[in-house]
Amino acid sequence: MASITMRNLVKKYGAVTVIPDLNLEIADEEFIVLVGPSGCGKSTLLRVLAGLEAIDGGDLMIGETRVNDVPAARRDIAMVFQDYALYPHMTVRQNMTFALEMRGMTAAEIQPKVEEAARLLDILPYLDRRPKALSGGQRQRVAMGRAIVRDPQVFLFDEPLSNLDAKLRGQVRAEIKTLSKKLKTTMVFVTHDQVEAMTMADRIVVMKSGIIQQVGSPEEVYENPRNLFVASFIGAPSMNFLPARIEGDEIVLADDSRLPTALMAEAASGTGEVILGIRPEHFELVAEGQGLAADIDLVEPLGSDTLVHARAAGQEIIARVSPDLRPRAGQRLWLSPVAGKAHLFDPVTEERINSQLRQNA
Amino acid sequence: MRVNDEHRGQMAAMSMPALIFTVGMIAFPFIYTIWMSFQLYSSTGQITGSGIGNYQRMVGDDEFWNGIWITFYLYFLSLALQLVLGTGLAMLLFRAKRLPGIVRSLFISPFMMPPVVAGMMWLVILDPSLGAANWILTSLGLPASAWLASPVWVVPTLAMIDTWQWTPYVALIVLGGLQSLPPSVYEAAEIDGASRRAVFWRITLPLLLPTLVTAMVLRSVDLLRFFDLIYITTQGGPSNHSMTLNIYGFRTGFEFFRLGYASALMVTLSVIVLGAVIALNRLRAAVEW
Repeated sequence: MASITMRNLVKKYGAVTVIPDLNLEIADEEFIVLVGPSGCGKSTLLRVLAGLEAIDGGDLMIGETRVNDVPAARRDIAMVFQDYALYPHMTVRQNMTFALEMRGMTAAEIQPKVEEAARLLDILPYLDRRPKALSGGQRQRVAMGRAIVRDPQVFLFDEPLSNLDAKLRGQVRAEIKTLSKKLKTTMVFVTHDQVEAMTMADRIVVMKSGIIQQVGSPEEVYENPRNLFVASFIGAPSMNFLPARIEGDEIVLADDSRLPTALMAEAASGTGEVILGIRPEHFELVAEGQGLAADIDLVEPLGSDTLVHARAAGQEIIARVSPDLRPRAGQRLWLSPVAGKAHLFDPVTEERINSQLRQNA
Repeated sequence: MRVNDEHRGQMAAMSMPALIFTVGMIAFPFIYTIWMSFQLYSSTGQITGSGIGNYQRMVGDDEFWNGIWITFYLYFLSLALQLVLGTGLAMLLFRAKRLPGIVRSLFISPFMMPPVVAGMMWLVILDPSLGAANWILTSLGLPASAWLASPVWVVPTLAMIDTWQWTPYVALIVLGGLQSLPPSVYEAAEIDGASRRAVFWRITLPLLLPTLVTAMVLRSVDLLRFFDLIYITTQGGPSNHSMTLNIYGFRTGFEFFRLGYASALMVTLSVIVLGAVIALNRLRAAVEW
C-alpha cells in the first residue's frame, strides 16, 4: 500500500526520448489506467515503475522512498504481463510460490497464502496443472494469483486483457475491478482500449508521445476532454469533428448551417475559426430546417441503439440514435447537438477553447 | 485437401525414385545384415545358417562385453563433457549478444572438419615425444602423458578430442534454445526477486531441458557408433582399451572376415542406439513444457 510519485521523469532509448518530462501523482489505493495509442510510452512508463527499465532523469518515489536505483525485486511491486509470463515448466502452485520461496519464506507460511489467493481467483482446482493445460482466462487468473500472493505495495498490469476474447475480457475486467476494491492496493493498469480505461479507472491518464494529455476521472475525461487528441481517443465511436467559424453568437459550419453558441459547453463569442466536437451520442433530432442536415450513408443497428453514418456540413459523421427511429440509408435527418455537450477546439493549438466551462451548461 | 485418383497416381509415380532409392540403400542392407547375423560365414566364403548361434556366442565373448563397456564409458564421458561445456559456451555466447561473424565461424569450424583430419591433427598434437601437448605439460612442470598410448587415458583422451570437435555444435543447439525462451519470463523472475543462480537452476535449465535432450539424441547416435576418430588414432588399442563395439564389429568383419558374427555385433549395436533414441524421446516428452 503506497502512493507513487513521478517528478520530471525522463526515459530515453539511446538517442530516442520516449518520455521527455513526466509528472504524475498516484494516490494510495488508487486504480490508475494509463491509456493511449501504441507507442505512446505507456508500457515504457509501466516498465520504468516496475524497475525493468532504468530511469534517465527525474525522481520516482514509491511511498516515501526514492526508488530510481532500487532493483525490481526490492520495489515490492507485482506485475501482470500481457502474455502472463507464467513459468511454463512449473505448476500453477509452483508459479505462485516462486516469488515467496525467493524471499526465503517457509512452506508453512506459503501454503495458506497460495490457497487463499487461489480461492479468491477461483483457480483451486488447477493448482497442480501446468500453464499449458489452462485456457487463456485461467492463465490470466494465475498471473494475477502470482501477483496477489506477494501482497505487494503496487500492482502493475501491462495490457493483461488483450489476449482474451471479447466476452471473457468483459468478465475479467469486472473481476479485476472487484479485486481492486477487496485488495485495497495501488494499481496501475496499462491499456490501449479506452473501454477498459473508462470502466476500471478511478483516474485515467491519457498519454501521447510520452506526454500526459489529461489526467482525470473517466467522467471528467469523457465530458471535458482537454484537447482534440483526448476527445478523439476517449469514447467509441469517436467524437465527430466539424470545422466551423464563430460569428457573434452563432457557429457557422462549412455548409452554412448555423448553431447557436449557447448550445456549447464552453462560453465562446467574437469571431474565429474553431473545430466543433460532438459525440455521436450527443445529437438530438430537431425539426426540419433546423440544426444540421445529415444525409444517411449507412445504418448500423446495435440493438440497444443505432449508429447512423451520415454526411453533414461536408464531413462524415456518426450519430447514435434510438432504434425506434428506424433510419434508412438515403434518408435525411436534422440533427442538433444536445445543449451543453458540444465542445469547441482551437484548430491551431488543438486545445479546447476556453477551458473555463459554462457554469450552468 | 482432397486429391483425385489421377493426381494420386501421379504423386505415387513422382515419389517412386525416392522410394526405390530408400529401399535399396537403407532397407536392403539393414535387412541383409539382420539376415547375415543368423548365418556363419566361413573363410572359404560359404554361408550356412546358424540360428541364434552368433548371439549365443556373444554372451560368452569377453571382447564383446569389453566393447560394450568401452562404448558406454566413452559415450557417457563425452556426452557429459559436451553438454556441460556446450551449455556454458552457449550461455557465454548468449550474453555476448552480437558476436562478430568471424567468431561464430571459428566456433563452428571444429565440427566442420572431417573426423579423419581432426584425428590426424590430434595424433600430431598428442604424440608422446614430439607433440605440443606434452611440451606444454612439461613446460608447466607437469608430468608428460602417454595420451592415446595409455590404457588409462586413452578413453578420456578420445572423449576430449570428440568434445573439442562437437562442443560448439551442442553450444549452437543450446544457443538456439536460449534465444527462443520467452523474455518476459525472465522479467517476471526479476520482479519475483530470483538471484542469478536461482534463475539458472530454477528457470533457464528446466526450460532448456527439451533442447538439451534434443542435443543428447543427436550426439548419442554419433557417440554410440563412435568409429572414425578411433580408427584413425588407436584402432582400438592399446590392447583393446579403446575397442568400442563398432570398432570390434568392424575388425571382426573386415580383418577376420567373420561376417556373420560381425553382423550380429552390428545388429546389437543398432538395437542399443535405437533403445537410446527411444529412451531419450520419452525423456524429451517428460521434460516438455
